[in-house]
Amino acid sequence: MKKRAWLSRAAAGGVTLALGLSLAACGGSSSGSGGSGTFKVLVYGDASNKVEKQIVDTFNKTSKVKAVLQTIPGADYQQKLQTIINTKQAPDVFFNWGGGSIAPFVKAGLLMPLDDFIAKDPNLKSKFLPSVFNSAVVDGKSYGIPMRGTQPVLLFDNQKVLSDAGLTAPKTWDDLLNAVKVLKAKHITPIALGGGDQWPTLMWYEYMYDRIAGPGLFEKAMGGDKSAWDSDDSRKALSQLKQLVDAGAFGSNFDSVKYTDGGSVALVAQGKAGFELMGSWYYSQQQQDNPDFAKSGLGYSSFPTVSGGKGDPNDVVGNTNNFYSVLKKTKYPDAVAQFLKLQYSDEFVKAQMAIGNLPTTTNTQNFLDTSASPDYSKFQFNLVKSAPSFQLSWDQAYPQTASEAMHTAVQEFFDGKIDADGFIKAMQALPTS
Amino acid sequence: MTTFADTRVERRRRPARRTGATVARPGFVWAAPATLFFLLFAVLPLVLVAVLSFTDWDGLGAPQYAGLDNWKALIHDHTMIQSLWLSVLITVLGVAVQTPLSILLGVWAAGHQRNRAILSAVYFVPLLLSATAVSILWRALLDPNFGVPSQARWLFGDGNLFGKQASAIGVLVFVGAWQYTPFHTLIYQGAARAIPQVLYQAAQIDGASTVRQFWHITLPQLRNTMITSMILMVVGGLTTFDTVLILTQGGPGTDTTISAYYMYEQAFKSFDFGGGSAIALVLVLVATVISLIVVKVSGYDKMRSSSEGL
Repeated sequence: MKKRAWLSRAAAGGVTLALGLSLAACGGSSSGSGGSGTFKVLVYGDASNKVEKQIVDTFNKTSKVKAVLQTIPGADYQQKLQTIINTKQAPDVFFNWGGGSIAPFVKAGLLMPLDDFIAKDPNLKSKFLPSVFNSAVVDGKSYGIPMRGTQPVLLFDNQKVLSDAGLTAPKTWDDLLNAVKVLKAKHITPIALGGGDQWPTLMWYEYMYDRIAGPGLFEKAMGGDKSAWDSDDSRKALSQLKQLVDAGAFGSNFDSVKYTDGGSVALVAQGKAGFELMGSWYYSQQQQDNPDFAKSGLGYSSFPTVSGGKGDPNDVVGNTNNFYSVLKKTKYPDAVAQFLKLQYSDEFVKAQMAIGNLPTTTNTQNFLDTSASPDYSKFQFNLVKSAPSFQLSWDQAYPQTASEAMHTAVQEFFDGKIDADGFIKAMQALPTS
Repeated sequence: MTTFADTRVERRRRPARRTGATVARPGFVWAAPATLFFLLFAVLPLVLVAVLSFTDWDGLGAPQYAGLDNWKALIHDHTMIQSLWLSVLITVLGVAVQTPLSILLGVWAAGHQRNRAILSAVYFVPLLLSATAVSILWRALLDPNFGVPSQARWLFGDGNLFGKQASAIGVLVFVGAWQYTPFHTLIYQGAARAIPQVLYQAAQIDGASTVRQFWHITLPQLRNTMITSMILMVVGGLTTFDTVLILTQGGPGTDTTISAYYMYEQAFKSFDFGGGSAIALVLVLVATVISLIVVKVSGYDKMRSSSEGL
């Protein structure tokens, strides 16, 4: 009898254990959300988290409902967000890129339109630059409040490499081609490119298409008119890119180089390459990896003009900003609204400036001199302010479902694995909604 | 539960009475936890994946029934077919590289040379590291500008190892072999130690050289071990994922997009869980067929002791 009891107890124990484990495997259930008076803020994990932490602390000092900051390391952010956003683990407020990055969530009815918040506090809209604010407007409703700095893509250079070769930052496409020729003759990789990451390659397309065709071509293609990819302008942009690649501008091993592991960053800092096209966060990256170089050797300029192109030479591409969006099912909409108000506070602007970011609030201008590098901040500020068009990165403008195929096509065209026809066909095959 | 327990108790009592001859088979209860886990973590997910493969789901709303759409798309998907070939190719290359290496190392390690213990321990280290750490390590070591290739231009040329299909596959096979050869070495070492010394003694009397002994005694005696080790390699090769994720991300283009990675890409990067599920099922089918073939061809199903009569 004793033995029997032991056995059935063991069996029961085994079952309990199995169930327990299987529950645990379902992902740290029942933690968080149940706690009273907190809401979760989910953010892309990187060097900028310093500011987000500070803002959350400031908010928690006065608010009864507390904000809890959670970060997900960059490379996995989008994947993790998508898998939790419709579950109990979903955050109340989350980081995103506006545009295509939130469109699927809007379509699934998960996000709260912020128009009610704005009606109560018009500053939530009017304190931000309209061109930036509007990139998180979907179907006429506002879904995002800008929460970091603007990130235009710039052409960075190693000033010493250029001056040693008797060059200056290129103003025109021909200047750039000439610089490529000169640097190549000196056995320096003219332009560093983290082709292994694929998205740095995409930046070349974004600028080339804008300079040659203007922002209209991409808008048309995004709107569903896929013939835009097969237009003369499109082919011209592709042939110019091809010309640049064939001239050896990126060397021959760019597909083995990455930006994300610091490879291309080091190439420029160590003078093994002359240029790199990258988002404005490049400055803070160099500041972190090579502080001396960032201070005295790093040059920057806007993308060169292309003669005969229809695009305004003042146009920029990049990420307009990052945004906080709010989930419809949040329990504390009022507290969240208070939290969002901090994103245009003086404290926020100063904190962003201190780490080299350029916030997109209307009061930014007052603080330009407090920046980590006032010249750099002013350059960016004027660039963005005077830009007639700020094209959102293609892979953020398109729905997430398109980005893998887009990245592959972009890489294969640079590799010569597909020709212009192949690239056009690949772009036409992308889903636009 | 109690009925199982009852029979179980009855059965366990029997040997306790020392009736001798009959050896009791373990009752079903002992298999229950494992079976439960298997059902919960293998069979149930497989069924769910099969269901998902007939739906259109981005992970947000409810899955929409899509009929055979995912499957039809898969048949015309050039990348899918290519990914199967790549999976098989990487598996075959892995087996071809690792088997001879691990047999030689294993047989060597089974001996009694000086330094053997120390060197064996050193060879074993890669297995202790996680595949992720190993991949990150090699990615840095093989960087074209700051890694080994920059110092050995005569061998690596411009160092564009990850930019060409052949060299990218080469890197994947190499890193896989670097990490898993120690494991198979260990298996062969054990097996080589188990070969009865009398066979070698007899061969020595007949005047067979060391090489001849290796070919005619060691290798035939290792046959069953080889099959075991190869099956493990095939299973490991077909499910390779982390090395691809970190080293090549399926690139350049889709040149190293093996099936397991393609499944991940569709499901978790393009958020097409229906399509990803269909790929997963194809991978399950292909892997099942390949294992059946290996088992049939190798005679694994009727494996016999190689020490008969000794």
